[in-house]
Amino acid sequence: MEAHPYNIPASACLAALQRNGVDHFVTVPDWIQLALHERVEAGVDGLELVRCSNEDQAVCVSAGLRIAGKRPITVIQNQGLYACVNALRAVCLDASIPVVFLVGHFGREFGNFGQDPNLSERNTVKLLEPILNALGVRFWRLETEGDLAGMDEAFAYADRESRSAVLIVGAPTGWN
Amino acid sequence: MDINEACRIIEGVRGGAILVATMGAMGAFDQLGAAQPRINSVPLMGGAASIGLGLAIGRPDRRVIVVDGDASLLMQLGGLATVAERQPRNFHHFVIRNGTQFSGFSNLATPAEDIVDFAAMAKAAGYRGASSFSDAAAFSEALPAILAEDGPIFTELRVTPPPPIPGANTQFEIPPQQFVRMGAEAVALSAWLAERGND
Repeated sequence: MEAHPYNIPASACLAALQRNGVDHFVTVPDWIQLALHERVEAGVDGLELVRCSNEDQAVCVSAGLRIAGKRPITVIQNQGLYACVNALRAVCLDASIPVVFLVGHFGREFGNFGQDPNLSERNTVKLLEPILNALGVRFWRLETEGDLAGMDEAFAYADRESRSAVLIVGAPTGWN
Repeated sequence: MDINEACRIIEGVRGGAILVATMGAMGAFDQLGAAQPRINSVPLMGGAASIGLGLAIGRPDRRVIVVDGDASLLMQLGGLATVAERQPRNFHHFVIRNGTQFSGFSNLATPAEDIVDFAAMAKAAGYRGASSFSDAAAFSEALPAILAEDGPIFTELRVTPPPPIPGANTQFEIPPQQFVRMGAEAVALSAWLAERGND
């Protein structure tokens, strides 16, 4: 696949995770973030991989890590977020444990890259932001490499407000 | 054995281990006055083992004791593999098996109560050891040796459910504390752990 501006380099994603002090990569794998997954699977100093069987577990493992003083990122895809809404409600909303997510926009039409994802014709894409809004969970769109500053904002927000934050990865991460 | 006996035996030898409980066990440990380090998965069936796993990974210097419920575990059976993959040596997973949901209220049967073999499932998933007890004296005698083993270790505790409450007395307004206590406990446990650093 030819890289274009919407394919945020996995190396840049990894650098953003590292500058935010992330030490655990808690995941149910996401097709959109395969390039990032492969780098983490290959081993990254200071970043432990925690594989989970489903997204409920990923949310709760991240919560336990956070309570233990660690700095996890929870890496899932949009379908996974839909699957774990009750765990998110309990952990992130009721208990205010600040879990930060990277959520890939699985199923998004390539023609929608750079456009409003809410205009997608696919439920798996267009329901994500309305559901996050309904839950009161702040989110940042990562559409191009320049948007990675949003990761810094999301972690700062999570730390400051003790609230969860979601970073939505709009297109497949680049293999560079 | 009933749930109060099972939890009293665990609390009696817990020492400085982090306790992560849920559902009926939470109430039993409350009655025992179980103190820090402690957190409950509430109101969240199925979350205890994964919260405990995160704590065990984040604080390998501390033993983590998870006291789960049978219906909760059924919701997250894949969590056995999530635990097993990490092989946390400081992780002990107990499951209160009373065969019922809304135990002490309507006592609705859990799925496949007479069929499921939780200990075999845990062992097959990759836990280092798994056992089952229904007698309080036998469990009490075996527990120190169980806790001396490297985890992940799974222990099923078969308990007699409390009798159901008849009819209209079963449903009361859930108090607000039920929805905020996990957050308060998370803050308190996090501070407790930070104060002590890595032992």
